[in-house]
Amino acid sequence: MSTPSKFNLSDSTGVQPFSALVFAWMLLFAIPTQASNTPTLKLFPTTVLEDIRHTGSVAKEMESGLQEVISRLDQQQQLIIDSKCEEADDDPGCAQLNKQLGATYLEMLNIMESNLPTMEQAVETTRKSLAKRLRKELGNGMTPWTLQENLLGGQSGKQASQTRPNLRGRSGMRLSDRFSQYYNLVSNSSSSQGSSMAVIASDIYLDMEETSDLIARTRQEISRATLMGQLNQSFGTITPEMQEVVNGVKGILFGDPESEMPLAAPPTTADSTACQSPLSL
Amino acid sequence: MNSTKALISAALFATVSFAAGCDTQPVKANACIPPQGHDLDVAVSQSKSDLSDVCGFQFNAYLERLMNIAESDPKPANKEKFSEFLLWSNQAGLLSKQQAKSIYNRYFNVKYVSLMGDYNNCSLTCPKQQEVLSNMEQELLDKERGLVKISRDTGSYQRADRLLKETELVLEATCTACGAN
Repeated sequence: MSTPSKFNLSDSTGVQPFSALVFAWMLLFAIPTQASNTPTLKLFPTTVLEDIRHTGSVAKEMESGLQEVISRLDQQQQLIIDSKCEEADDDPGCAQLNKQLGATYLEMLNIMESNLPTMEQAVETTRKSLAKRLRKELGNGMTPWTLQENLLGGQSGKQASQTRPNLRGRSGMRLSDRFSQYYNLVSNSSSSQGSSMAVIASDIYLDMEETSDLIARTRQEISRATLMGQLNQSFGTITPEMQEVVNGVKGILFGDPESEMPLAAPPTTADSTACQSPLSL
Repeated sequence: MNSTKALISAALFATVSFAAGCDTQPVKANACIPPQGHDLDVAVSQSKSDLSDVCGFQFNAYLERLMNIAESDPKPANKEKFSEFLLWSNQAGLLSKQQAKSIYNRYFNVKYVSLMGDYNNCSLTCPKQQEVLSNMEQELLDKERGLVKISRDTGSYQRADRLLKETELVLEATCTACGAN
């Protein structure tokens, strides 16, 4: 099982075609093994896996389009701070810098505007397909007790701690990396146990819900922000609201390390020699 | 005069009879008082004796005392002693089989008796999701007592703790999906 890790902006961790083939190959052999040990959970059929992979590709395309413009935006802003332009409103050089910053900001909004609908659709498709599987397999197909048994996976102690993935925070890494990681996690974990699949599927689904909500809110903001940006071009300043939009975009795409959720600690081993009570359920 | 003698005789007879009655059925000084001390085996033995006599109505107080005694000397073998005691309680007619199972699993099993039912999660668990999770949190406290403080089985306790966290996540997602189109 791969351990979740953080990536920096220069990482290139997208799923390569060859890797995807390897994962698909592993998956083919993994399914019968799983079925022989625990009740089969069909949470990640090929269609869902393909949705996750596709969403990752769309996110990567959007990131590469925005990465350059966002780093330019950061540089321009730093230049304005270094030049102490905040205290020199009448300086023609500063006015020029502010105008360039405003133009780059509008460029970023345009790229977002043209890419977000595709991204939104990809996330929505993944979200819906996962919702359908969760509803069928865990919601309607299990009682509370069988759900518990499934989460425990019929394993105990050391064995469970070795095969179970940690719950992950959903922020703090690039969007495309998150999807790459999901894809790898699902592909690799198929061979271990169905119980982990329920946790992974739930985690991804809730992440899709949040991402979907964020994208919808960002799309609503873009029209307003574009108008504001155009107006501010006349005055040659970047407002706190504009800065907030930039930070929001960065948050969606590249993660927000400060809001990263803590990782759950792995359980320690249980005493395998403990008695089995006849009262035990 | 004769009637006075007859009254005195009757009073004496009654007194003697009452004294004789006390001799045949002595009042227990420690009746239904849960055991003291630190030896769980001795305490279990005394509890069985009391509970099988006339103290069945005090079952909860006895169980609580036994747990306190076990907490003073935590070890894995305690789990088995409570299992045996609860089985005996069922056989003695103090508890139903279901009650015995419920108590044992609440304290000494990784799985949660608060998360049970015969119907699917969408219809049974989701409508009372918060209530179920709140009950599970309460049960985790009892599991801490049974697994850690009494049985010194931290591994099982941590698995129970993790199961609660995973159930919270999975129920949040599943119940959202149950309500989604």
